[in-house]
Amino acid sequence: MLRHSLLTASVLCCAAGAALPLSARADDTPPWTAPGPASYPPKKPLGKFDAPSPYAPQAPGVNAADIPSGPPSPPSEATPAVEQISAHPAREDWPVYGHDTQATRYSPLNQITPENVSQLKRAFVYHTGSKPGPGQINKWAAETTPIKVGDGLYMCSALNDIMKLDPATGKEIWRHNSGVKYDSIPYTAACKGVTYYTASTVPEGQPCHNRIVVGTLDMRLIEVDAADGKLCEGFGTHGQVNLMKGMGSSVPGFVAMTVPPPIVNGAVVVSHEVLDGQRRWAPSGVIRGYDAETGRFLWAWDVNRPDDHGEPAEGDHYSRGTPNSWAALTGDNELGLVYVPTGNSAADYYSSMRSPEENKISSSVVAIDVKTGSPRWVFQTVHKDVWDYDIGSQATLFEFPGKDGPIPALFMPTKRGQTFVLDRRTGKPILPVEERPAPQESDVPGEVRSPTQPWSVGMPRLGVADLKETDMWGMSPIDQLYCRVKFRRAHYDGEFTPPRIGQPTIEFPGYNGGSDWGSVAYDPQTGILVANWNVTPMYDQLVTRKKADQIGLMPIDSPHFTPAAGGAEGNGAQADTPYGITVAPFWNQYTGMMCNKPPYGYITAIDMHTQKVIWQHPLGSARANGPWGFPTHLPLTIGTPNNGGSTITAGGLIFLGATTDNLIHAFDLKSGKELWNDVLPGGGQANTMTYEYKGKQYVAIMAGGHHFMMTPVSDELVVYALPDSK
Amino acid sequence: MNSVQQTGKKPGLPVLCLAVLIILLGLPLVIMGVQLAALGGSFYYVLFGAAIIAAGGLMLFGSVNGAFLYLVAWLVTIPWSLWEAGLDGWGLLPRLLGPTIIAILVALTIPALRGTSAAAVSSRGGHA
Repeated sequence: MLRHSLLTASVLCCAAGAALPLSARADDTPPWTAPGPASYPPKKPLGKFDAPSPYAPQAPGVNAADIPSGPPSPPSEATPAVEQISAHPAREDWPVYGHDTQATRYSPLNQITPENVSQLKRAFVYHTGSKPGPGQINKWAAETTPIKVGDGLYMCSALNDIMKLDPATGKEIWRHNSGVKYDSIPYTAACKGVTYYTASTVPEGQPCHNRIVVGTLDMRLIEVDAADGKLCEGFGTHGQVNLMKGMGSSVPGFVAMTVPPPIVNGAVVVSHEVLDGQRRWAPSGVIRGYDAETGRFLWAWDVNRPDDHGEPAEGDHYSRGTPNSWAALTGDNELGLVYVPTGNSAADYYSSMRSPEENKISSSVVAIDVKTGSPRWVFQTVHKDVWDYDIGSQATLFEFPGKDGPIPALFMPTKRGQTFVLDRRTGKPILPVEERPAPQESDVPGEVRSPTQPWSVGMPRLGVADLKETDMWGMSPIDQLYCRVKFRRAHYDGEFTPPRIGQPTIEFPGYNGGSDWGSVAYDPQTGILVANWNVTPMYDQLVTRKKADQIGLMPIDSPHFTPAAGGAEGNGAQADTPYGITVAPFWNQYTGMMCNKPPYGYITAIDMHTQKVIWQHPLGSARANGPWGFPTHLPLTIGTPNNGGSTITAGGLIFLGATTDNLIHAFDLKSGKELWNDVLPGGGQANTMTYEYKGKQYVAIMAGGHHFMMTPVSDELVVYALPDSK
Repeated sequence: MNSVQQTGKKPGLPVLCLAVLIILLGLPLVIMGVQLAALGGSFYYVLFGAAIIAAGGLMLFGSVNGAFLYLVAWLVTIPWSLWEAGLDGWGLLPRLLGPTIIAILVALTIPALRGTSAAAVSSRGGHA
């Protein structure tokens, strides 16, 4: 009798063994073969979950600006480039997303110090004008970091409008309206930043000598003149390139660009996110190079067409369902490489339909030669990922302090909290990586897991031990007990527990990290690495197609799709596979509190000379969080989930928003002590930056909020400086 | 409290409310505690839940032993919490905060319950 409680009813149950056979194909094609051209036009009306053929013409709005594409292009070489300012940033500038080509997020400015940081005041606030309108679902999380070059602060709004601001007053000098529509928003309306480019063929003083480059949510590459914001006529078609060319059928919002594309030796390298969890044959995750000067196509890296670097033939498309890369890329002009952090093949939680080529490069960092589009090396951080451990972080380049002198290296932070340190010439680990046995047991027919997974044992782990029943939490023994029951109901063999059909599983670390898109900051002067990270488990369960249908899980390109039932980063239809997926935070859904005990977020400083933790503290207070979503107003440092990265300054400070308490924080680099904070008008889920203008140092953060982090949305860029001395 | 002494037999409204509250808090502990134990988890919750339901029941009938039973259950919770969570403040919070607040309220009812218990004993004695 006691078994018939609320709990039982609240847990999705589905009969194990009710799974469909993997493939109903009569022929001998392997399960990772995407539908061929014979599938179009369709012979019979499409079923509820049937894929519209990738060969079907793109729906209206997919090429949002109706940019003419022309015939398919063969590979070509970039216009010889001049050195970009991001290679050697002026002391007072922040000319690229991660401060410099290396993406260190370290600024040599030192006017603001631990002694005077408490006097910081708002210098100005700038409104981008982009936030949800009436009747629009909140999908906003601007995540923007402005760049600063000379007399301009350049940034984009969440919907990709481009602005130049006066760095001292925030006054808008020009604005380019990009015209991105609400329908084009994928999982999130984000524009992490813009790229500054100095042309090699246009002399100084002519229009479009210096340019601002933006990749948009509706898949356009835009170049405008940095001086006046006007489209650069010499780039693409009147300043724009259609990035949906060669992508096959799609719908608005399925594919989007949210990161600033790096420019490496004259090549703009374009990556895009593909909405998670929709269908196995989602649009391709292809990485492409375009000529920064003219917008001409240079090359494509298409995983399942490894030897073909040209655009697909007329009527054909880049290979479907391949891993996409949504993290910011890092360029390396000296080695002629771009470091691409990859995600999973489409349908994150089911791996039997992935090609061997995809399995080699998913959840990896891939170094692509920017001349040819061929990978030079690959380092994989998760083998056959079914946990959505796609890499959200940007790689940070640094000189590893080796015994026999510096080694060209990179940090690859991961959602797992494993930080890999690789030789960027070869991709070989500099610090030891161990292959350790991983759980294998699963009830999903045909699924085979990798016997081992890689652990970066030479670096401190940005994570905590596997969960135990006694780690469950609540406000009282009752809600704690609820979570203990939920813990015991799940199958859990520690990290890498494979997803199941008959029972929920715990995914820990969760898909918010460890390290996520905020990435890490590195001070090359002191050799200190600063990382903020999450302790937020997820609760996953595969569901049969029938069950997925019952709970309304439909792919975005289905006429039956409703945005409310599930989009990316949560429940997903995973159409074309036998199973849908349900994913939620491992929380008490009645109180809205996580099931594991705090802290949920940390900040860590690591000395790279010794690879030892210098200090580590919980990050973020309980002031804006509490049961049932009520703010407690308590200044207790509980350690909150966090998204957004830090800035290190030569003044000895760390500036960081990220936490769900809606504060911007300043920490002492030496001790980690919080020296200052200020309440932002919205969630500070964006990377901070700093710059100097007319002798004054400023610190900027986009307080755009984040829908998934449930922090308030605003359209305000908030900029701080010390008061003028009298 | 005066009213308790005046009627001499029944506990006052505050004590009754507390007793009912304790029983209501005990029910989910027992229900989910059985599930947890059946799933191979801790037996503590079902035992604690049963103990405080009994304690609440006794208090409802005016027995001071109910209050003592609750306090014993609470006292046992302290070493159990330390054993499970160590000296981790966040870990101790759900285990101890609520039960301790109730324990303070229960302790405050002891004088009143002593009165009703004595009355109950003497009236029973009178009938014998």
